[in-house]
Amino acid sequence: MDSSFGLDNEVALSDDETVTVQQVLETLENAWLNEKFSPELLPHQTDIVDCMFEQISGMEENLEKVDQSDIRVEIHRMELDRIRYVLSSFLRTRLEKIEEFCTHIIEEDSTRDPDERYLSPGEKKFAEEFQNNIEQHFERVALRHMPLNVQKYDRQLMKVEPNLKSYVFLRARSTAEGLMLEGMDDTDEPLTMVKDSQHMALYSGVASLVKNGTLQLI
Amino acid sequence: MNSAETEFIAEKELVSIVPNFNYEVIYLISGDIGPFRAGLPVKVPIWLAMSLKRRQKCRIVPPRWMNVEDLEEVKKQELNERFFTKMPSEHYMVEAHLLLSVAADDIPRCEQIRTILKDIWDIRMSKLRSSVDQIIKTNAIHARLDHLTLMEINSIRPLLPHALDQLFRLQNGRGPSQASGSQAFTQ
Repeated sequence: MDSSFGLDNEVALSDDETVTVQQVLETLENAWLNEKFSPELLPHQTDIVDCMFEQISGMEENLEKVDQSDIRVEIHRMELDRIRYVLSSFLRTRLEKIEEFCTHIIEEDSTRDPDERYLSPGEKKFAEEFQNNIEQHFERVALRHMPLNVQKYDRQLMKVEPNLKSYVFLRARSTAEGLMLEGMDDTDEPLTMVKDSQHMALYSGVASLVKNGTLQLI
Repeated sequence: MNSAETEFIAEKELVSIVPNFNYEVIYLISGDIGPFRAGLPVKVPIWLAMSLKRRQKCRIVPPRWMNVEDLEEVKKQELNERFFTKMPSEHYMVEAHLLLSVAADDIPRCEQIRTILKDIWDIRMSKLRSSVDQIIKTNAIHARLDHLTLMEINSIRPLLPHALDQLFRLQNGRGPSQASGSQAFTQ
């Protein structure tokens, strides 16, 4: 019996990039924590999520085939449960944000290049449907019974935006130099975040570094 | 983040176990473990160690720092230093809690370890409280929090960031009372 369950340890995420499944899992876990703690929606990670789902279902299929009393089966199942938890928590956190900041996110995303959109195609569909349903619901339940001058649903007026000026905890994954945070004036020295140091700072000042992976939210 | 999730993250840390069975290498997604040889120590993630221990398939080797002497030393240092000292493990509190809960019989003088850990935790929490007080009073826009463990950060979340958010909002004159129409709905 093949003890690796016939799964490749290496996967291709894009044409010229091969990474180990272990690295994919780590990326997913980091993305999960970033998404959990950042006030705004971060770029989607469809590649990573799809890759992990494939791994899970591949592994599950293989597990079906072997003797269920094998000690490995239970160990693998436990690990799959843990990964599935991270995956669903990650996706659920994103959906919660999409529901809360729906109009804002759709507007922001429509100004981005198709390759750099934050919403995955599935999430985009969900966001648009959600927005329409909310509007229809208001319309049916309340607005049409209102006096004429207040019957219109104004998206801009109802829009909820994330508060980017909120404080977050973070750890530097590599050294970031010359940081000027919001609220610092010209007399302040630019800040250096040394690798592995931990900080608390305003999200708006470090957002781009979180997105490019220099800083990790904790 | 709730404490169950902090625990979830800490469970990924490796710990040595001495299995009482033989088995080849197991290729987990998060990395390979094994091979298991009865009587020979091998490193596995804590979640697995706990499950094997519960099924009496192994004995847990306490991490090197988890003994009374070393912890006394850590405690002394923590008392003497003004700032937070580096803990022997990123998740010392959670790890100790998990391991002591399932493997108290594998860890010598576990009651004493528990007491010292609680002391260290209390010292650190009181430092943390006075730092928080400092941060709020000096209106810091940035704070360095080296050596704070996840569990400790979690204990001041969401209170500290939230309080600072509100201060920031008040200072910049965008308090709810001044907000008009659309802003009233911003979070």
